[in-house]
Amino acid sequence: MIINNPGGKSYDLIVVGGGHAGCEAALASARMGNSTLLATINIRDIARMPCNPAIGGLAKGQLVREIDALGGEMGLCIDAAGIQFKMLNRAKGPAVWSPRAQADKAVYHEKMLEALSSEEGLDIFEGEVEGIAVEEGRVTGVTISGERIRGKKAVLALGTFPNGLMHIGERKIPGGREGEPPSCLLSDDLAANGIERARLKTGTPARLKRSSIDFSRCQEQPGDISPVPFSFRTKKLNLDQISCYITYTNVETHDIIRKNIDRAPLFSGQIMGTGPRYCPSIEDKVIRFSGRDRHQIFLEPEGRGSEEIYINGLSTSLPVDIQEKMIRTVAGLEDSEIVRYGYAIEYDFFPPHQIHASLESRKIEGLYFAGQVNGTSGYEEAAAQGIVAGINASLSLRGEPPFLPGRHQAYAGVMVDDLITKEIDEPYRMFTSRAEHRLLLRQDNADERLFRYAVRYGLLEKGLWSEMISRKKRVMKAKRRLHREVIPAERINSLLENEGAPPATEARKAIQIARRPEIGVEKLEAILDGGGLGLGERELDMLGIEIKYDGYIARQKKMAHKLLKMDKMTIPDGFSFEIEALSREAREKLGRFRPETLGQASRISGVRNSDLSILMIFIEKLKKESKNSGRRGMNFR
Amino acid sequence: MDGTTVVALSTPPGESAIAVVRMSGTGAVDILDRMAGASGPWESHKVYRKILKKADGGPIDEVLVTVMSAPDSYTGEDVVEISCHGSVHIYSSIIEEALYLGAHPAGPGEFTKRAYLKGKIDLTQAEAIADLISAETQLQARVALEQLEGSLSKKIGKIEKRLLEELALLELSIDFSEEDIELCSRDTLRKRSEEITEELKQMIDSEITGKKLRNGIRVTVLGPRNAGKSSIYNALLGEERAIVSAVPGTTRDLLRERIHIGGFTYYLEDTAGIGQTECEIETKGISIGRKAAEGADLILFVIDGSAGWDDESRKEFEKIAGKNHILVLNKKDLGADISCEKYRPKTLSGSAAEVSAKTGEGIQSLRKMIYKKTVRDDAAEIVKERGAVSSRHAAALREAVDAVKGVIAELEGAGAVEIMSLEIREAIEALGKVTGRSVAGELLDLIFSRFCIGK
Repeated sequence: MIINNPGGKSYDLIVVGGGHAGCEAALASARMGNSTLLATINIRDIARMPCNPAIGGLAKGQLVREIDALGGEMGLCIDAAGIQFKMLNRAKGPAVWSPRAQADKAVYHEKMLEALSSEEGLDIFEGEVEGIAVEEGRVTGVTISGERIRGKKAVLALGTFPNGLMHIGERKIPGGREGEPPSCLLSDDLAANGIERARLKTGTPARLKRSSIDFSRCQEQPGDISPVPFSFRTKKLNLDQISCYITYTNVETHDIIRKNIDRAPLFSGQIMGTGPRYCPSIEDKVIRFSGRDRHQIFLEPEGRGSEEIYINGLSTSLPVDIQEKMIRTVAGLEDSEIVRYGYAIEYDFFPPHQIHASLESRKIEGLYFAGQVNGTSGYEEAAAQGIVAGINASLSLRGEPPFLPGRHQAYAGVMVDDLITKEIDEPYRMFTSRAEHRLLLRQDNADERLFRYAVRYGLLEKGLWSEMISRKKRVMKAKRRLHREVIPAERINSLLENEGAPPATEARKAIQIARRPEIGVEKLEAILDGGGLGLGERELDMLGIEIKYDGYIARQKKMAHKLLKMDKMTIPDGFSFEIEALSREAREKLGRFRPETLGQASRISGVRNSDLSILMIFIEKLKKESKNSGRRGMNFR
Repeated sequence: MDGTTVVALSTPPGESAIAVVRMSGTGAVDILDRMAGASGPWESHKVYRKILKKADGGPIDEVLVTVMSAPDSYTGEDVVEISCHGSVHIYSSIIEEALYLGAHPAGPGEFTKRAYLKGKIDLTQAEAIADLISAETQLQARVALEQLEGSLSKKIGKIEKRLLEELALLELSIDFSEEDIELCSRDTLRKRSEEITEELKQMIDSEITGKKLRNGIRVTVLGPRNAGKSSIYNALLGEERAIVSAVPGTTRDLLRERIHIGGFTYYLEDTAGIGQTECEIETKGISIGRKAAEGADLILFVIDGSAGWDDESRKEFEKIAGKNHILVLNKKDLGADISCEKYRPKTLSGSAAEVSAKTGEGIQSLRKMIYKKTVRDDAAEIVKERGAVSSRHAAALREAVDAVKGVIAELEGAGAVEIMSLEIREAIEALGKVTGRSVAGELLDLIFSRFCIGK
């Protein structure tokens, strides 16, 4: 419910920021039964997409599926707001498939606002939070326009607003996004409360007027023929899909950039923050990869009815006159009109070694950080942290232990673990290669991995979970049948002949035939004894995956369990890493990141095996000592 | 490590010109102060001349003392080295005195363990030091030294880097498949994987050589009585170690001595001559000799070349003919001749040497033959170039090979990148067991530095 004045009210949880992280945090909190306030500078900008008009993508798609499996809203919103759906990496194995959809930005905002306003116990208030209230090391509320609002917990999801500074050529404009002022007071207040901050940079390309583009000179990129929804709760997608288009920069484009490079804030020294290497500006690409004479550009509509086209691949902070010149060298864009110019933005973030794996601040109890404030980039990364922060703040209110998904359980777990053990020197984006247990973390099994938590926390109906269990049971039963059933050679050959494969000479187990890439489960069904497997479409897919990755999944599970042992060895609270025996680098890094488990310690760069064995020895010794002498101090050297 | 100070003799036990006693730990300097009757000042890495005394004031010895202050010492702790006169009585007294003053006796490898725990050296270096200490030949010392300098770590590091590059290519095709980048072909991947497998295999091959280099090679001298086994034994040793007489059955027990050929240590064993005997001791000696021959890397079967075969020795020879052996025809000076009709056909299938232990003729070429029969031709080169891996390293390297083979198998089959990636990650993990380093974090750096990514 949108309210006009929260004054005098007291909340269980206050969420600051109405972006993707803030929305999920607020919804999770309210759904877990907490009185919740979502404070945002501008309600019209709730769940806005300031950069590309798409949700999902490689690794990000997995995150959206996880958010959905935890009862989050992102999947449902994009299913409603999507205008083109694609399953990426379909040519590769299902472990690395990722869903992505082009979004109608306006519809996405509307759907999210609808969900928020109709959620019971959730108040939405428009106003700028200027500071947090802290008493005895615990957060007790926030200040809006000089007025104190009490809250037992708070989630900070501020995006790029803290001390945001936009750059277009030589022009510098303070702001959190185009057309919006930055939020400086809150960042300064956090610093005054002892929270360390640093600078990052990101950027966005210009937007073009749709009718000014000659799409006939570009290559069309349609959506999937049968689109797959993001949400496990969406039964079917019915929509007319809209195409994207591909074009390229050329030598002329690059010449213009090179000639004017001294006017690019990134190269003139005007920008101090570090930008992402995976999403470089076009000037960066031209200078760093000077051997290439073209770069790919995607033209993506910002909505079904929108006149704006996003030029994916042409992020820039060059001055407006150069942007215009440069864009008009590109095939199809010769007569294009720029609706909005590209810009780079620098902003404060709060290096995440200052938070626990629960996303709670180590310094201020009850204060949670989610999204770009932790140095990440991307709507999906933010939303995943938002839901984790919302769940954990709620669990803490209930006096229950936090939700800490492991690296083998969720991309969200990989991300949070990376955040608290790695130096953030560029905006952090999710990649599937960051997940060492990738075969376990598939987009198709997010429900198997996370439904149980959502049900336990009251974020999803129990019925969904039981459905998932019986689905899994049917698949495993079918798999056992394939292991048992032996098929005579002549029946195998009836299949192989069609595939033009050399015939079999003897009978084989059904599972062996199913493993052959040219056959697969579906074709096998026809020659099974006693008819087909009686599985639905999705179940057949699941069975196919089970068979394809059979031994490999077992191997990954084994490896995950080995690593898990290290993660179960906790490092006592207040443990001093000032151990002379540790290498200097390890001592410094451990002191900074303060890992809470040996597993975390092992993932900090610069901590070597010898350092880990020393840590292990000292921790064991410490535990023995404190056991022997009751509760003696932990100040141990 | 845990605050204790340890002491040990650092030179080989026994009488010698000088002996070195070493202490390490926070109490080492204090103990030295009390023995020297003065509290320093001990400047680090300087040599001092002192008279050490017992607690009751009785002098022990005039010694040279060096203090190496933490952390600039071998163990990273305070280290005291005392060079004393090399008598058992003197060094024992110093050690006893140190123990009396609170030091503990150092366990085997304790100094190295402390260095490892202090982070002064990594695991391969720790192992290399153990090898260096027991090195007897220059080649052994060189291999150990090179490993100490991290040559093994470097070599594996290079392979790790190549695997990582291969992984980057695969990950690129997964994480950035939407981008305009040219991908690596199956053939290239396959070629790279095969090269890596080959290199790993070569390193594993050096394990056998490495084992021989570390543990030495056993050569047993076997043969009928009075063939001159002990004479050959002495000739190879270059000293009169075994008693030689014309009386058959002079050697009754197993003798073992070391010789060095081509940088390797050989344990040369002389055995009792085989033959019918009433003597119980001799019978036992013969069976000990046979047993020794069973486990030997090489058997020198010695017969009197001038006399030729008799049935018994021929039978005995046939028993060992399937093993690595050299038939040695002794008494060349009396006319031993391998081309002689009576040695055909069996003997010529193996190696044979004509020597005269008496004149020394043929002993040099026998040495060369022993080397050739036990160590591969290019052993010295292999060891110099590739180092010689230990069994622990070889096990990890084998794991890595299996994983890389998994990549090749997948390339021949469905070519699923996510599975190949898993195999390469496992290979890198396995190599990390040798160097103790994890490289996974460098993956994205590699991708971003080499490829233009970003829509």
